[in-house]
Amino acid sequence: MAEKPIQGEKRVFMTGNEVVAWAALAAKAEIMYGYPITPQNEIMHYWTRLAPKFGKRFLQTEDELSAGFTTLGGVLAGRKAFTATAGPGNTLMQEPMSMAEMMRIPSVVIIQQRGGPSTATVIYSQQEVTMTTYGGNGEGLRVVYSTANHQELFDYTIKAFNTAWKYRFPTFVLGDGYQAKMRESLTIYDPEEKGLEFVPTETFLGKAPVNGVKQPVHLRNTYNTEEELYEVITRYMEEYLKVAPEIIEHREFSCEDADIVVVSHGVVSRAAKVAVQELREEGLKIGYFRPVTLRPFPAEELKKVAARAKTLLLVESAFGQMAKLVKDAIFGSTVALENLFKPGVGITSEEIVVRVKEIEKGALAK
Amino acid sequence: MFGVVPVSERIVEAYIGEYASGKSEIAVNRAVDLKKEGRCVTLVDLDLVEPFYTLRPIKRQLTETGIYVVAWETSETMGLGEAGSLIKPEMRWVLRRPGDIILDIGYGVEGAKVLNLIEGAADNKNLQVFVVLNIGRPMTDNVKDIVEYVKELGIVHGLINNSHLGDDTSVDFVQQGAKVITEAALVLGLPVIATYIDRKFEFEINSKIDIKGNPIRLLDRYMTNTFW
Repeated sequence: MAEKPIQGEKRVFMTGNEVVAWAALAAKAEIMYGYPITPQNEIMHYWTRLAPKFGKRFLQTEDELSAGFTTLGGVLAGRKAFTATAGPGNTLMQEPMSMAEMMRIPSVVIIQQRGGPSTATVIYSQQEVTMTTYGGNGEGLRVVYSTANHQELFDYTIKAFNTAWKYRFPTFVLGDGYQAKMRESLTIYDPEEKGLEFVPTETFLGKAPVNGVKQPVHLRNTYNTEEELYEVITRYMEEYLKVAPEIIEHREFSCEDADIVVVSHGVVSRAAKVAVQELREEGLKIGYFRPVTLRPFPAEELKKVAARAKTLLLVESAFGQMAKLVKDAIFGSTVALENLFKPGVGITSEEIVVRVKEIEKGALAK
Repeated sequence: MFGVVPVSERIVEAYIGEYASGKSEIAVNRAVDLKKEGRCVTLVDLDLVEPFYTLRPIKRQLTETGIYVVAWETSETMGLGEAGSLIKPEMRWVLRRPGDIILDIGYGVEGAKVLNLIEGAADNKNLQVFVVLNIGRPMTDNVKDIVEYVKELGIVHGLINNSHLGDDTSVDFVQQGAKVITEAALVLGLPVIATYIDRKFEFEINSKIDIKGNPIRLLDRYMTNTFW
C-alpha cells in the first residue's frame, strides 16, 4: 500500500479544485464518481492523477444522475465515496441526493457554482444556493458548508466526510468557479496527526452476520401510505433540528455596535470583510456576518445581530437566494433590509463600500 | 550553459508545465522584458482547453506596451467558453512572424502536445521549450516527482524555477526551489534557465544569481488581474 498522501503539514500553492482532491485524499476517501463539468473538472483530473499512487479509485459515469447514484452505491457498499459537480450537473445531482436524504445515506458532494440558469456561464456565481440547500423533492435534510478560501476548501472538505457519516445527511461543500480556479497558498495536513478522528464508514448492504445471524438492512425511499411517510419525515426532521445547533457555523465581527451589518457568504464574504474593515477605519459603525453553514442556517445568531442593528445589507452573486434564507431566519425582526445583488458576477469590496455609504447617506437624509 | 540562444538571434520560447505552475505569468514577464530591450515580440496564448480566459483580461494592457498578442477575444466567437477546443489560424502560423515569439502553452502534459499543431515547430532550430516549476505545488515538490513529470513532457530544453507561495512567498522558499529544481535539472541533464522572483524581493535577495548560481529574473505579477 502506498504511503500517506500528506506527511505532517506543509505550505502549498494550488487551485481550489486541486485543494479538494488533496482534501478528499487527506480525509481517506476511497473512490470518486464523477462526470466532467466546468468549473469543477480539475477535482477529478487531480483525483485521477493522485488515485493510482495511493490505491484509490475513480469511475467516470455517463452523467451526473449516474455519478450521484453510483456515489450512493459506493457508500452502501461501505466505501468512503464522493462526487463533485456544478451548475446543470448540480440540478441532476438533486435526484440522487434526495434519495440519500430519504434513505439517510451519508454522502459528500463538492459544488463549484457556475452561472445559471441552464448552461449560462462556466465561470462563477452564487446562484446554486437555493438548489444546494433545498433542491430535490423533500425538506432539505442536508448540510451545506459555504467556503471562502482555499484553506476552508481543504478544512471543510475533510469535515464534510465526518459530518455526513456522523449524522447521515448528505453534505455539500459549496464553492464556486472563482474558488475552483483561483490560486492561493494554504497549509495541507494529515488530519489524524492533528488529532481529528474519522467517523468510521459502515457497510449498509451485504453486512457480515452477527453471531451467525444475518441482520436484515431495510433502507427505503418509498412508502405505501401518507401516514407511514409522515411518521418517518417527522422523526427525521426532529433529528435534524436536534443536531442542527452542533452543525451550525458562522463568523461575525464588529456587530456589537453596528448600525449596518453586511451579510454575505462564500467568496463574496472576502470582499465584505475588507469593506467592513475599511469602513470601520473610517469610523463608520459597520459589522460583518457570514453564515458558513447555509443549511442548517445560523438563524439564532443572525437574529441576535438583527435585533441590535438598524440595517442588514445582503450581498451576493445571485438575485436574493441567500436573502431568502436570511428572511426566513430572522422572521419577526423589524431590521431594515438592503441588498447588493449581482447574479453571476463577482463583487468587489469597493462596490460594497459604495453601497454602504449610499445607505448611510439615505439614513442621514431621513 | 545558460545562454541557450545568442542574443542576436531571434528568440522562440515555449513555456509549458503543470496547471497553475505559473506558465502564463512567466511568459508574459518574458515578453515584457524582451520588449523593454527594444525587441519585436509576439506573445501567443495557446490554451486550447480554456481559450478565452487566460490572457483575455490583460490583452489590451500588453498590446499597449507594443507586444503583439495572439489570443482570442470573447467578441470574436460565441458560445465557446469551455466547449471550444480550437486554434486560431494565426496561432498555427505564428512561427512565420518576424522577431521573438513567446508561446504560453496551457494545460499540462496534454497542453504540451499543442506544439504539434504549430506549423514549423518540429524543425524550428530556435524553438526552446522550458518547463515552469513551483515546488509549492505538491505534484512537483521534490526531485523525484519533478524528474518523472518533465520526462512525460516530450522535448524540453530547460527548467524555470518559479517556486513561490503567492502572497506568502519568502526568499528562502524561492532559494529552496532553486536547490530542488537544480538537482532535478542535473538528473535530467537540462539547464536551469532562470529563477523568477517577485520584484518586491529585489533588494532582499540583492543578487543576480540564486543560491545555485542560476540567473535571477525579477517578476511583476500580471496574472492577478486575470482569472482562471
